[in-house]
Amino acid sequence: MVKIYSDYKDRADFLTVYVREAHPTDEWQMKSNVKEDVCYAQPKTLEQRVAIAKDFVERQKYPLPFGIDDMNNAADLAYSAWPERLYVIDERGHIAYAGGIGPFKYDPQEVRAWLTKRFGPVTQTSPTVTPSAPTGSAQPGGPATAALPAATPATADGTR
Amino acid sequence: MSRFWKWTLGSVVGLLVIAFAGLSFMAGSPKDVYGLVRYALPHMHRGKLHVGEDAPDVKLLALDGSSRFHLRERTGSRPLVVIFGSYT
Repeated sequence: MVKIYSDYKDRADFLTVYVREAHPTDEWQMKSNVKEDVCYAQPKTLEQRVAIAKDFVERQKYPLPFGIDDMNNAADLAYSAWPERLYVIDERGHIAYAGGIGPFKYDPQEVRAWLTKRFGPVTQTSPTVTPSAPTGSAQPGGPATAALPAATPATADGTR
Repeated sequence: MSRFWKWTLGSVVGLLVIAFAGLSFMAGSPKDVYGLVRYALPHMHRGKLHVGEDAPDVKLLALDGSSRFHLRERTGSRPLVVIFGSYT
């Protein structure tokens, strides 16, 4: 997603919304979280949630605009967001693209395809943003680790 | 217990063991099977928003931890790509 952001940020807006943790230590922690030292309990307060979001942005040098879901999980509930999901909202405020539930149906390339269809392909190749180390890989049944896109730059272009 | 029921029960238990072993292999470990069933399965049916529908507005907190904004404030002039996720 970071590469897609880099390619299309002059033509579309982007917003990352941090929702409740997918694999906290007190729920369904995964080995890859331990391996990558991404170990957090599920936040019980908004301050804890903000702290984890800040950790993510700082450690991953995450460049996308950022918002945090409230403790009532309103964004998660409205968008069926957990553990990870992608949308495109058009200028009229309508859903233009609704991605599937992650990690298996979380597909940034579908977003790129939407943007390409709308704005044409971007030929720019210089990676202006290089996310830091990934925190894990997708695992069956769960959003594996690092649901947020910058944390899983498993492919050459920085998208998953 | 009749022979028929013994075989039936044995077959069911055998299938369950095979299914559990298969899921454990796919998910990574038996513990992950529990996580899959406990945390992931309840969400599999979610995702009721469809293309063409109004995007719900939600109030979000900015990264500074104090200011708030509405998601729909970010829509209107250009398409908005929204990425939902967490750190783990």
